[in-house]
Amino acid sequence: MTGLVLATAEDGKPIFGFGERLVHSLEYLRFKAKSHNALYACETVSRVVSEQHKYRLYIEMFPKDWERSTKSLYRAGYFKAYSERTNEFFQLTNDKRFPLLEYWHDDPDLELERFAIPPMNFDLCCEEVDFAHLRDSYLAGLIFYFLEDAEILNYFSEKYGLDRESLPPIKTAHQNIWKEKHGAKSKPFSDLIRLVDHSTGNPWLDITNCQYPDLFEWDKETVDWLTEAYKAANQYFKNLEQLDRRIEEDAQTFFCELISFWNTGRVGSEGHKVSDE
Amino acid sequence: MQLDESPLELLRAENEQINPAIILAERLMRREAAELLSVEEVNEAEKILAIGTQEIETIESHQKAFQKSPASAIDYVPVGF
Repeated sequence: MTGLVLATAEDGKPIFGFGERLVHSLEYLRFKAKSHNALYACETVSRVVSEQHKYRLYIEMFPKDWERSTKSLYRAGYFKAYSERTNEFFQLTNDKRFPLLEYWHDDPDLELERFAIPPMNFDLCCEEVDFAHLRDSYLAGLIFYFLEDAEILNYFSEKYGLDRESLPPIKTAHQNIWKEKHGAKSKPFSDLIRLVDHSTGNPWLDITNCQYPDLFEWDKETVDWLTEAYKAANQYFKNLEQLDRRIEEDAQTFFCELISFWNTGRVGSEGHKVSDE
Repeated sequence: MQLDESPLELLRAENEQINPAIILAERLMRREAAELLSVEEVNEAEKILAIGTQEIETIESHQKAFQKSPASAIDYVPVGF
């Protein structure tokens, strides 16, 4: 310990002592040495305003953590463009809201004035089908996108004794599968196909590695929206559990119904269509 | 702006002031970061930033104009020569 860290009082609140004042003074002197440089002054104003904006967001989102925090408001943190306190805010957002500090954001020289989010979904365009880690129901949804590849159906034949020959042929997707509203029977299939197709409307599920990342602003509405969307994205995957169970119980019926839904927009095996609309 | 004015005349016609961003930066650097800026102060900072940036661009355009200006002889000998 250098003795320059912030001390805390008995109530846990930080005492801004010599160390913090020294860092503040050094920061000020560094600025003074360039104070007649208008460009540097503009940069300084931008940086201070940006940091203040993040402090305000920190207080709004994590008030107790802010009160307890002993991180410096002046000393640069891991992301060098920001103070230790702002870095703590990024970390809290990552720990308590959604994954932020991975994938795109691993460079300490990076400016996080706007941020990208990592894709949670399987990438149709550039990933190998991962039989070990993808859920069975998700793999089932992929058959419509890898029509020429028998590997997925072979997997189900071997694992669940699926009789591929007796499955209905896969036609062009029926436009009704993209309807917003579905009955109880077809909803799980609709959700599965939307998920596999990256058409959920949820940014965590729809973005891919191959597109230029959407950049999000640091404001409470956006952070709250992304937090809820992250929960919903996890729920999307959780909902696949019931489809996995149906595959385990009767893979043949499951695939007949899934292909029927794809072909006709309704649930039911070919020749015995059961509409739940 | 008059087209027939020289870069020197154009520069002389500009307001002479310290870039407001320098003054604001000085003020911001002196305050405690824990005292958060109010919405009004942030708005003011953004306005000043726009003015400060505009001023830098103006100076740069004057500088470019000077660099493009051809050299010309003067009709008197400066003191010291």
